Amino acid sequence: MLAAYFPRRLKPMAPALFALGLVSLAGSPAGAQERGITASEILIGAIGALTGPVAFIGTPGRDGMTMGFNEINERGGVCGRKLRLQFEHASTPAESVAAVKKLVEQDKVFVLVLASGSTGAAAAADYVRAAGVPTYNLYGSTPIIREPFSKNVFHGAIVPVEVSARGLISMFYDDGYAPKKIGILAGTYAFPQATLKAVEEVLKEKKTERAVEQFDQAARDFTSQLVALSRQNVDSILVLGSFSEAGFAIKQAREMGLAVGRWVLDGSAVSRAIIPILGNADGIRGYFNVPYFPGQTPSVREFEARLKSYLGSMPQGRPNNYDMIAYGAAYVIALAAQAAGCELTRDKLLNAWSNLKDAGPAKLGGLDVSFPESYTPSDHQGNYRLGAAIVKGGEWQVYRIIERP
Amino acid sequence: MLAELGLVLIAGLKFGSIYALAALGLVVVHKATKTVNFAHGAFAMLGAFATFLIVVHWQWRYWTAYLVIPLLIGAVAALLEFVVLRPLRRADLFTVVVATIFLGIALAEAFRLTYNTELLAVPGLFAGQPFFVGGIFITREALWVITGTLATALACIVVFRHGKIGRGMRAMASNVTGAQLCGYSIDRVYMLAWFLGGALAGLAGVFIAPIAGVSVELSIAIITAGFVAGVIGGFDSLTGAILGGLLLGVAESLAAAYVSSAMKNCISFLLLFIVLMWRPQGLFPERTGRRV
Repeated sequence: MLAAYFPRRLKPMAPALFALGLVSLAGSPAGAQERGITASEILIGAIGALTGPVAFIGTPGRDGMTMGFNEINERGGVCGRKLRLQFEHASTPAESVAAVKKLVEQDKVFVLVLASGSTGAAAAADYVRAAGVPTYNLYGSTPIIREPFSKNVFHGAIVPVEVSARGLISMFYDDGYAPKKIGILAGTYAFPQATLKAVEEVLKEKKTERAVEQFDQAARDFTSQLVALSRQNVDSILVLGSFSEAGFAIKQAREMGLAVGRWVLDGSAVSRAIIPILGNADGIRGYFNVPYFPGQTPSVREFEARLKSYLGSMPQGRPNNYDMIAYGAAYVIALAAQAAGCELTRDKLLNAWSNLKDAGPAKLGGLDVSFPESYTPSDHQGNYRLGAAIVKGGEWQVYRIIERP
Repeated sequence: MLAELGLVLIAGLKFGSIYALAALGLVVVHKATKTVNFAHGAFAMLGAFATFLIVVHWQWRYWTAYLVIPLLIGAVAALLEFVVLRPLRRADLFTVVVATIFLGIALAEAFRLTYNTELLAVPGLFAGQPFFVGGIFITREALWVITGTLATALACIVVFRHGKIGRGMRAMASNVTGAQLCGYSIDRVYMLAWFLGGALAGLAGVFIAPIAGVSVELSIAIITAGFVAGVIGGFDSLTGAILGGLLLGVAESLAAAYVSSAMKNCISFLLLFIVLMWRPQGLFPERTGRRV
């Protein structure tokens, strides 16, 4: 009967073609219709800057995730499927949108990872919400990717600015210190400005006096800002910017003989690379997005050794928190896929991911170098904790965990 | 109040003197070849990177950086003139300018790919207590940067005005055919101009490395500041380049201290537009006279 639907020339072959169709349907695993999944592989797409000024975020994002996926694959993958990462370079908003579209529409990835910081995450936000592809925002703290809530977008280790702002201010009061007036040196670009707004809200609530001075991205001369802060009699300074900006600001304040009782740095400035700028950086504080600083515990030291072995040699300033977050993120994706079951579909993954509890590398035999992540169907922020860090003896170390405020 | 103003002015002069050195290199190449070398910032970045290698990586004595790097970067610039710019000599000005822009990008990206890091820190030449002059303190590093760069810039002016090298460049700038008829080799003069421009960029890199660190962004920062300083001072005037650099540095510093700290970068472009509209030849153009 079916043969009636075949063209005349193909009619003799109809039974064979029909049988071939049945065999191919029967032989394919469940979920083969799902984009980015085959019987042997789950395709994960990611974007981030591999060159340019924010390559210190994207490159560790790629390396950390690849290392995590390699470890998971060596242990058999998820339901026998290997996890494969396809990473696209994107640093500007336009590049981010183009890269995300390519990964979703052309490469048909199953999960999309935004390893691009706030700028890329903000640029891709509307598209990923509309596309419905399961999306994991690794580094973007911008509210644009978080609001409005979307059931397909998950946020990992980087906390919202409202949370980091409270963490930053809490560090001014550690060890019995009580600042009278806090000076804020904030970059004029997007991330520091978002944090500045949140920090000012917290200080207003606490009725703490403050003075704000700003600087342009990649600034190297802070004399004018420091003179202005000195004029306003600040006794402690918060720097919202990169480690190089913070490093040169502190160096110049010391040269000027400015009496600053406490320096607290934004998470983006908490890096080993600030120490060579200052020589002696002891006493400087800042928050870290993972529970331990590189070198602080055996598991982190083991992570460093594995990363070095994977990369061949360790680039300066690495591993950083972005390496560790990306490594942890690879395991979170694997755990979500595992929880969704072997009949993997997009809906099942979203449902499983929304109910993950304490997901971290140790659950699949990896190294716990990031905070475990938990999600609920109405809250897709996986982590709310921060590590309060201080430089002691020329090395950063996390001295307490800042819990969810 | 006076001490505060003094601090702000010294910081402005410190960065301004580096801008002046960068502008001087741009102007030297432009005077001799009529080309704006947009790869100049990348040469300065290479100079700063070479400083990191000499001082931090190999731990040689600091003064070797001041001696070796200008010669080295000058040689690199001369080589690039020979390899990239010479074949384009008959091309139109636009093509040559685009070539220098992409040459700069290529050099910066080559550095990024070989040394994939955000910032390399270089210690200062001098440590120790600052000097106090009338309640104003000045660090040894600031004093060295200001006096060192300005002395170099003045030496460069003397060489350009009175030396044989300078005479050839000035002749070429004035009239290429006439200079050739007088026996000056266009190849030799152009290469020398690029060498001198590269050497000045390299030296600017050595001076700026301890106060700004070494990063790819340094390339953009130097070319932007050098170009703006050159335009403010007058793109054909060596003295103008120096004064333009100092003026730019001081204006940035004063604006950040007394107008708004977010105005620092904005002020340089504001100055650029004002000068271009009001006095396009620059504030301190070279006086041109003809004996008849």
